[in-house]
Amino acid sequence: MSAPGSRSAVLDRIRAATAGGAAAAGSYAALPRTYNTQGELSAGQRVALLIERLREYDADVAECAPDALIATIAAQIGRSGLRVLVAPQGLPKEWMVAGCDWRVDHNLSHDQIEQAQGVVTAATCAVAESGTIVLHHTPAEGRRVLTLLPDWHLCVLRASQVVETLPEYFAHCEAPPALATFISGPSATADIEMTRIKGVHGPRFLNVIVVRD
Amino acid sequence: MILPVLDPKLALPFPKAALPVLRNAQLRKNVAHATDVITGKRARLVAEKHDWQALREAASAVRTHVLENLGPYLEQFEERCTAAGGVVHWAADAAEAREIVLAILREEQASEVIKIKTMTSAEIQLNPFLAQHGVEAHETDLAEIILQLGHDEPSHIVVPALHVNRSQVREIFARTMGLPDLSDDPQALTAAARNYLRKMFLTVPTAISGANFLIAETGGVAVVESEGNGRMCLTLPRTMVTLAGIEKVIPRYRDLEIMLQVLARSATGERMNPYTSLWTGVTSGDGPQRFHVVLLDNGRSDILGHERERQTLKCIRCAACMNACPVYRQTGGHAYGSVYPGPIGAILTPQLMKMEYAQSLPFASSLCGACYEVCPVKINIPEVLINLRAKVTDQEREEERRFFDPLYLGLRMASKVFANAGRFRAAQRMMRIGMKAFTGKDGWIRSLPGYGARWTMTRDLRGAPEQTFREWWAGRASGKVKA
Repeated sequence: MSAPGSRSAVLDRIRAATAGGAAAAGSYAALPRTYNTQGELSAGQRVALLIERLREYDADVAECAPDALIATIAAQIGRSGLRVLVAPQGLPKEWMVAGCDWRVDHNLSHDQIEQAQGVVTAATCAVAESGTIVLHHTPAEGRRVLTLLPDWHLCVLRASQVVETLPEYFAHCEAPPALATFISGPSATADIEMTRIKGVHGPRFLNVIVVRD
Repeated sequence: MILPVLDPKLALPFPKAALPVLRNAQLRKNVAHATDVITGKRARLVAEKHDWQALREAASAVRTHVLENLGPYLEQFEERCTAAGGVVHWAADAAEAREIVLAILREEQASEVIKIKTMTSAEIQLNPFLAQHGVEAHETDLAEIILQLGHDEPSHIVVPALHVNRSQVREIFARTMGLPDLSDDPQALTAAARNYLRKMFLTVPTAISGANFLIAETGGVAVVESEGNGRMCLTLPRTMVTLAGIEKVIPRYRDLEIMLQVLARSATGERMNPYTSLWTGVTSGDGPQRFHVVLLDNGRSDILGHERERQTLKCIRCAACMNACPVYRQTGGHAYGSVYPGPIGAILTPQLMKMEYAQSLPFASSLCGACYEVCPVKINIPEVLINLRAKVTDQEREEERRFFDPLYLGLRMASKVFANAGRFRAAQRMMRIGMKAFTGKDGWIRSLPGYGARWTMTRDLRGAPEQTFREWWAGRASGKVKA
């Protein structure tokens, strides 16, 4: 839809402006990367740091053994008092604990998702240093809208998915994802007098369970 | 209230535009508070990051590398984004970008559109253009709503409403949202905005965003935000239009490991911002099914061609430079007459205007270097400021009407005087006699007439000494040394 000449005009101007620049392939590999790409903490310390950082964001965090996972999910949901929950299509069946009205995402409409009170998902990775949860929106993590409209998000992580630094997440990525969401605490703003307010548009309540695997 | 003018073609020169702000105590208090809070948080989080300088170095190197190879990276981005189902448009200037966006919206039969905060859209003055053509643009970032509903303009690129305090926000929301009983508690104000926008997010089928990063390797786009309004706009609508400057590209997905670490700490003083979203073209069943990217030049390729000023385009719009700037901290953003204020605005705006407008901005700095020190991509802003000052001065000197300007007359005379030792000595003697009348008993000049008043208006001047160094030196040899 752009004027047909604009593409070549812009690219020509760029080429003229950068004439004599180094070839992309060669010089990219030579870029300095002397920042930390490897964490120093033990597995236990890593999880402890993640939990500390998540709690600084006011996230509700629980840790449990693998055989206590279902009970822990039930307890977190129970404490929230919520009943109507959405589940991504690929969420393990056993995570959908009894006593709730589960709406599995077989193409739920935005309105149906909006009417749900909460959502339970898995995750791809968590970065301890910044308290960041990374979703690649796999079938167990759900479409992006699932973790956006409901006000309450419970995310289940395995301890083996926790890395210490952000570069370690990227090193673990086999291929770049088409979709990704990095979540560091609940939605927030500081636009009014720099006062941090939790919960603007995204979920106001972030809950995390770390399974010691 | 005087409406701020952020069009560099219409704005007053900085010293004139700054005057009303400097007299507005409330505004200065609001700006000082906000910048103090952010700089404090940033300093704490940078101090705990032991590899901070290595990260800056890497961020700077990646951005420099991209600019040197911008053409191939943009073509790669275009190819991958297109392969993933996106449509890539190229806009040579602001007018063309506006037309492209309007044509897309027409095709969508859109009468309204929701927007993620994008300074690039403010740069091309998109909202008023869309309004003229019957499309209502709704800002969804909290700060942008405050400004839009209050008919105000952004004064900062990360926290655009930092010059507005809670009671002013309350007044705007109460009036425009019909909530007379609203309190001025930020929690209540934020909740009001949430309710105001919720329905809009669920019903308006077209959205416009900016981009923090375009990823050449994948054709993906990354948007960094806090509130979740961005996620709403880039997830719920049917159609999404992303407007991005051509300099926004990074080579690979992995490069985000550098950029995200430096950006959040520099911008808001957080280890990581609450939400970063990445999408690649169109994904079946998830998010908008029609996706357009508009790549905007609008003066950027000109900047790219000036090797010493090219570094301006490394900017990732974190605003650390304005928070740290002693000038910005006094005036806030409106005085800069551009959507890009502060030190980065002082170098970016006149260059985007091809040095035809905003020539006063490179002088709106004390050259203290605080901006360079905090810049996460190591843009040597003071160096560029000095280069641009030289360009502006060269321009002025060439203007015919400046020929009899006392400043240039004086400088031409000075250059004749300084070129010859005899003339220089004679001038020194005349100066000593001429200035005596204005010099106080303590040896200071407090007030000069005419052109000299420009100096003494704001500072005192040392009177000429009774003897110059050369006179003293010559006298020393002949034994006639004064104490």
